[in-house]
Amino acid sequence: MYPIKFDVIVVGGGHAGTEAALAAARMGRKTLLLTHNIETLGQMSCNPAIGGVGKGHLVKEVDALGGAMAQATDESGIQFRILNSSKGFAVRATRAQADRMLYRQAIRGRIESQANLWLFQQAVDDLIIRGDKVLGVVTQLGISFFGEAVVLTVGTFLSGLVHVGLMHYQAGRAGDPPSLSLAARLREMQLPVGRLKTGTPPRIHGDSIDYSILTMQPGDDPVPVFSFMGGIEQHPPQVPCWITHTNEKTHEIIRGGLDRSPMFTGVIEGVGPRYCPSIEDKVTRFSEKTSHQIFLEPEGLSTREVYPNGISTSLPFDIQLKLIHSMRGLEHAHITRPGYAIEYDYFDPQNLKSSLETKTIENLYFAGQINGTTGYEEAAAQGLLAGINASLRSQGKDAWSPGREQAYLGVMVDDLVTRGVSEPYRMFTSRAEYRLMLREDNADLRLTEQGYKLGVVDAARWARFCQKRDAIARESERLKSTWVNPRLLTAGAAEKVLGRQIEREYSLYELLRRPDVNYESLMMLDSSGAEASDPEVAKQVEIQAKYRGYIERQEDEITRLQQYEALRLPEDLDYATVKGLSAEAQQILNRHKPETVGQAARLSGITPAAISLLLVHQKRGFSGESVKISA
Amino acid sequence: MPSADTIAAIATSPGRGGVGVVRVSGGGVEALMFGILGKALEPRTATLCRFFDEAGGAIDFGIALYFRSPHSYTGEDVLELQGHGGRVVLNMLLERCVALGARLAEPGEFTRRAFLNDKIDLAQAESVADLIDAATQRAARSAVSSLQGEFSKRIHGLVSALVNLRMLVEATLDFPEEDLDYLEANDAAGQLEEIRAHLKSVMDAARQGNMLRAGVHVVLAGRPNVGKSSLLNRLAGDEVAIVTEIPGTTRDVIRQSIEVEGVPMHIIDTAGLRESDDPVEKIGIERTRQAIGKSDLILYLADSVTGLGDEDGKILADLPDLPKVIVYNKIDLTGALPGIAEDEAVYLSAKTGEGVDLLKRKLLERVSWQPLGEDQFMARQRHVSALADAEACLARAQADVQPEIFAEDLRLAQAALSNITGEFSSEDLLGEIFSRFCIGK
Repeated sequence: MYPIKFDVIVVGGGHAGTEAALAAARMGRKTLLLTHNIETLGQMSCNPAIGGVGKGHLVKEVDALGGAMAQATDESGIQFRILNSSKGFAVRATRAQADRMLYRQAIRGRIESQANLWLFQQAVDDLIIRGDKVLGVVTQLGISFFGEAVVLTVGTFLSGLVHVGLMHYQAGRAGDPPSLSLAARLREMQLPVGRLKTGTPPRIHGDSIDYSILTMQPGDDPVPVFSFMGGIEQHPPQVPCWITHTNEKTHEIIRGGLDRSPMFTGVIEGVGPRYCPSIEDKVTRFSEKTSHQIFLEPEGLSTREVYPNGISTSLPFDIQLKLIHSMRGLEHAHITRPGYAIEYDYFDPQNLKSSLETKTIENLYFAGQINGTTGYEEAAAQGLLAGINASLRSQGKDAWSPGREQAYLGVMVDDLVTRGVSEPYRMFTSRAEYRLMLREDNADLRLTEQGYKLGVVDAARWARFCQKRDAIARESERLKSTWVNPRLLTAGAAEKVLGRQIEREYSLYELLRRPDVNYESLMMLDSSGAEASDPEVAKQVEIQAKYRGYIERQEDEITRLQQYEALRLPEDLDYATVKGLSAEAQQILNRHKPETVGQAARLSGITPAAISLLLVHQKRGFSGESVKISA
Repeated sequence: MPSADTIAAIATSPGRGGVGVVRVSGGGVEALMFGILGKALEPRTATLCRFFDEAGGAIDFGIALYFRSPHSYTGEDVLELQGHGGRVVLNMLLERCVALGARLAEPGEFTRRAFLNDKIDLAQAESVADLIDAATQRAARSAVSSLQGEFSKRIHGLVSALVNLRMLVEATLDFPEEDLDYLEANDAAGQLEEIRAHLKSVMDAARQGNMLRAGVHVVLAGRPNVGKSSLLNRLAGDEVAIVTEIPGTTRDVIRQSIEVEGVPMHIIDTAGLRESDDPVEKIGIERTRQAIGKSDLILYLADSVTGLGDEDGKILADLPDLPKVIVYNKIDLTGALPGIAEDEAVYLSAKTGEGVDLLKRKLLERVSWQPLGEDQFMARQRHVSALADAEACLARAQADVQPEIFAEDLRLAQAALSNITGEFSSEDLLGEIFSRFCIGK
């Protein structure tokens, strides 16, 4: 037995585990991070990129709550872009190629220098459970660690099975061993378990690529920054990505190998993601498309390896070689690592509370790929939340999780716990009802204050945040109270800034809401006064003004729905006693035990009729007495 | 559903002869069946039985039908006893059911249970209620069509066109790195226009349907002795007038409900609008004023012998600003021909009936009634306003430049329609996207 008793034990050193451990330690809890290999802390095991639409939003939220991912990306990003930059602010998203090694360093550095955080290398084989409560973990060498709460972030390593062609072997990600004994132990605990699949492309040696005939894709200029605390000066040197395409010949080669594809011959049972299909999937399902775009992404500054994004495959190696060589610029490419598909276990997240604690075992939290999600960003965000809630539990405090209207993190967790997954879950902005409110640019305004109260946001971030928040409020107020008089406005200035003369007095704020007016042009009016010195403040004031009508409408909608979110359902309610509920609804509700009426309403298979019965039942105080159905 | 209590009611309307039906639904049906029939019936098989009383004597003799849960109207166990139609016999049967553990059903409770057990959707449940209170034959036909899901079908068609468009927008927003412009490539603007046209036709039909259900409120005004009562009788005329009073608080305001070409028209008489100090009468006057304010149309009756005089002007000035139809009565005295003048005034004789058809046509025209034939369906005000909300969102969407705002307006339009059809999740939307497009680097 290890001599120190911990508050929080985190198992797994990937993106979920590291954020969980860092968050718990920031909250002042005595935290242990157990990983089977310290060298791979913060490893990007799939493509070397962070962010994107929906995912970038999550990274900004993790950052707003003091997490490491955005800052680590600023220190390791070698190509930054803003996606959707021609569209509105709500859907603009940051994406960066990262140098794998620099990213690992950035994460490991933070882990090693974090106060209250103990790092230990040992694979975890077992959980110590008494009754329905977890007390600690046992490692491969038989060392027992005890802690108040345990966060499991063991992702792809659970019963991993790698497929290349019809060959397969047991493994974890990227050459690591799978966690077999832990998976077996969890299976013994009768937690609802399922199987998913994901894949990677073969990697290529950069020197064997003919870049001279390929399209270059440079990063944005000026170079974007990920963290609210970050700066351009943190970025390492920047490099471009390159674009090539598959062609008819490539597709012919792929079709020729389908008889040896583990997916098409039924060897793989796990369900793969529809939004990230393997190339053999794309070619068969969308046979009318004669070409697919392939991004050649550099793996880092100190390696020549290239990640060809868009041709994830588990076809046999000889087919992989041929299909690579069929593409422009890759005619002589040398494959450094074959592509593969990997199947792994996940636990049905419908067995989780929105704090990410399991419903079956007290003080045990799950985060990341183990919950059926995919992606570093999704994992990091869950890790952070699990770390926060494990810490709160160890302090005897109530759990916290953001609402769907507050954060993409809230949307994701709610989706997971109410609807489960049928394929690896990835964030998309279309999953959010309140997309116009959940923007990258206001992630700090949405979450940093909450983070400060929880103790995951440090003093420096808090001070900078307060300054920005107050400056935004001041500038908005100034624009609302500064009036532009048509008599004092020259025709020329009106024409130039507003398109035409105004017919009455308007405040600057009202003028800013017009579609053709922006902050910068508005400030050219004589009556505009001194503009905000911080461009971030100016930008935020403008965005808020532009979206205001829509956001007010969304706020109304939220207020209407909030009442259901506030109605808590008792954990021990037997839904068979709610009269009038259909047998199916009873079953679903008894299986899920939703925490609130709002959650119940989002369960699949629960009808508005069932909810109205719950409301009637709830009004009666869950006394179990019969509910009279009145006409 | 064994947990639900058992309800019973006489299912046929009172006072009719022929067959009378007692319907029972709930968890206690099986036991009740033994009690009243002395045996268990095969489900869904019409069986000739004796209906026994407590002492084992026969109350009646008829057909019994048993539907086992969930294959029944309510989704629960249901027993139908079809006896002879007499009131006394039916009441005895009902009392027997109550003695065997059932309780009397509240109005609409069978349908409510059918809805709660997902046997019918909300639109269907509402149209059953409409069928029961359908005021006229045409309304009854239309309610049947809605129950069969005509309305739901039209709305679902609308929703799936909207989903298709949303899918394009959402794919554009969430997958910017695909080398495709989904909106351009699929003529999003054209699609939106088509959806709006479709929505407009559903709205028109729904408005008509709502008119059929709720009727049109018409204020009948004019000086004394211009022939208001005779005109009313004339309008009610050949088709069977429904002279039942409208229940509730409007009772003392509305004098009569008539039917014009199948459209129920509730006539509000302004006779009560005179000066009064009597407190009770004052309340009545206030109510009449409120009813007038909420009506759809004013029918102003004048005397064609005297024409519109000062007194008419005073009365008209006192009425709210609503669409008006001016009618000159008594052309039998002036010898004028029945007809519609250039100022849209109608000339007629309530006494001879000449020109009354013209007035009917005019009334229907002024409330925008268009006979739509069998296409009609019963809509509720709730449906009409949900459709109007959706249309407002789509009108905004047409002007949107930014795709994320466009997406938001489409989402709101769909949310409005969801009030009629039920929820649609983002997961469903993503499913549409992935089945249509090759997504993913």
